[in-house]
Amino acid sequence: MESEFLAKIVKINLRHNFLQHLLAAIGIVILTPVIFETSSLDGKLAAQPLEMFLCLSGAILFTPIFLPEQDENIRDLIRSKRTNYLAVCAVRFAYSAVVLAAIIGGFTFFMRACESAVGWQHFFGAFVTALFLGALGFLGAGISGNVTVGYMVAMIYYIANFTLKDKLGNFYLFSMSSGSGDGKLFLLAAALLLVAAVFEWKRVREG
Amino acid sequence: MKGRNFFALYGRECRKVFCSLTFLLYAAAVFAMFYTQFYSGVNGPEVEPKQGESYYGTVAREVPEVLMPRATESLLIEYLANSYVAYPIGFYKEIRLTETKRGEMADIICELTGFTREELDRFVRGIKGNHEKSGKNSFEIGEGNGDLQIDGNGFVVDGGGNLGEEAFSLPEYSFSESLTYERFRKLMRAADKLIGGKSKYSDTYIIYNFSQVPKTYEEAMEEYRLLIKEDGVTGGYARLYCDYVGIILGILPVFAAVSLMQLDRRARMEQLIYSRRASSAGIVFARYAALVSVMILPVIITAGIAQAKVMGYYPGVDMDLFAFARETFIWLLPQIMLVAAIGMVVTELASGLIAILLQGAWWFGSLFSGSISGGIGKFSLMLRHNSLYKRDILMEQYGDLLFNRAFFTVLAILLVMFTAVIYEEKRRGRGIGIRVFGKNCKN
Repeated sequence: MESEFLAKIVKINLRHNFLQHLLAAIGIVILTPVIFETSSLDGKLAAQPLEMFLCLSGAILFTPIFLPEQDENIRDLIRSKRTNYLAVCAVRFAYSAVVLAAIIGGFTFFMRACESAVGWQHFFGAFVTALFLGALGFLGAGISGNVTVGYMVAMIYYIANFTLKDKLGNFYLFSMSSGSGDGKLFLLAAALLLVAAVFEWKRVREG
Repeated sequence: MKGRNFFALYGRECRKVFCSLTFLLYAAAVFAMFYTQFYSGVNGPEVEPKQGESYYGTVAREVPEVLMPRATESLLIEYLANSYVAYPIGFYKEIRLTETKRGEMADIICELTGFTREELDRFVRGIKGNHEKSGKNSFEIGEGNGDLQIDGNGFVVDGGGNLGEEAFSLPEYSFSESLTYERFRKLMRAADKLIGGKSKYSDTYIIYNFSQVPKTYEEAMEEYRLLIKEDGVTGGYARLYCDYVGIILGILPVFAAVSLMQLDRRARMEQLIYSRRASSAGIVFARYAALVSVMILPVIITAGIAQAKVMGYYPGVDMDLFAFARETFIWLLPQIMLVAAIGMVVTELASGLIAILLQGAWWFGSLFSGSISGGIGKFSLMLRHNSLYKRDILMEQYGDLLFNRAFFTVLAILLVMFTAVIYEEKRRGRGIGIRVFGKNCKN
């Protein structure tokens, strides 16, 4: 019964709330080999498309998780339901994470097939980078109740990585592209912390 | 709409923009960009070059005797590896040529080096044979190989990026006496075309890549003189300021515009506003004017701080007091106007997400596709000139700069007029806009 219920939530959300964001993320994937070289790259160069461009798909997938309820009418409707609103958001987060992993994993395999020197560390690094950027967008959108603010927060941080570079320390998104790959565990921890903080904020504020 | 009502509406919209979270983030980002890139980077006056110093820096100058051998050697190495580096959108791309194009490239190399096709082919086969015999690093040159890369120094690099054995010593060659510099450049353009453009041999990059020569005292002094006299000191700094802040202004205004356009819908005020007597053009233009005038405020403030800082470093020097104000209004204001207008029109026509994605794509392409000094095209979103100097390069392109900014200003106003038309149609209850997934997107 529970699993049927869960499947129904996933199905409805995928159909009504996820498709356009998924298409935007796929657009990023299609553009990546147009902008970047993907064949026969060494480990450092192979990190560029994964870290510098594909990571944007994280911001696209995670930022709009609270979007449907941005419409007051939908929010009122959701509040009247027996199902916990935050549980639905957690389901949305979970399938977004699965899709992100599939996108980055698929692209990593594609690069491997193109004889680039990519491995698990590239997949992990790129996934964590995208997750962190997505978590920033999720934070902005969740706290402000405005998805545009979420996209803006993620974008500002993305730009900061081009201008401040390794001054960001462990929070530098493009560390694999600069040859070190340090800080990915920090990014993962920070991303999980941010996500947890947003859920807690929502729980306290909205119950 | 009477003028008084327009200004009342404008005032209300200004308050809305000013108090919005998107503006707060925008202003913080402008200040952060200004502080980290410009303010903390300008730490004192530029020092006048002294005669007799051993080094005045380098300059990219067209010196055929320097350029021709360096570019030819690089092209020969890339030909042998069948791996050409290009930067089509600013990022590294490795181009591999088809057999047909490789044959055309071989013709170019033969003309440059004096090799015959047989000699060149034999040389390629020789390298292949040597590497096959060596066993450990059995690299192969030829079509379809993915293992061999030869870096710019002629070293073999394996698939993992590890430096392998030295690839080869380039054979001796000499330029044909009949090869003129004009012909050489024509061949380089042909090579660039075969690679697909934006390679090291393109007109844009060839001099920068292969003809860096030491700057003379006279050149260093002339650069300094241009900054102090022709630019009135502040002119060069104002351009550098615009270059940095322009990066942020190429994208962030779209968020403020999207957010403002969605505010009515989010506050459930859409229907109420639709029923008011104010004209659609009045509402839309009041909003637009509010967006632009509030968003220029952090720019004016940071430009003022920059001007004061620069003036403090050059006491007693005759300076251009209006350089920052002039460059800000010519260089940056039209950019804010256009990006905000795009945010408004696309949000009204389709959705906020699409507006952000479209502007994001343009911003990304513009940021990474041009040169960072003198990167001024007629239709470039961001005008790049990341240098206090190189005034001569900028002046050559100043006509394009003025055209670019005038065109964007007119385009922005046209887009806002179009937004007003869409808005009016919506007020009349007529569906207009791009329907996404069966309904107009609401984000």
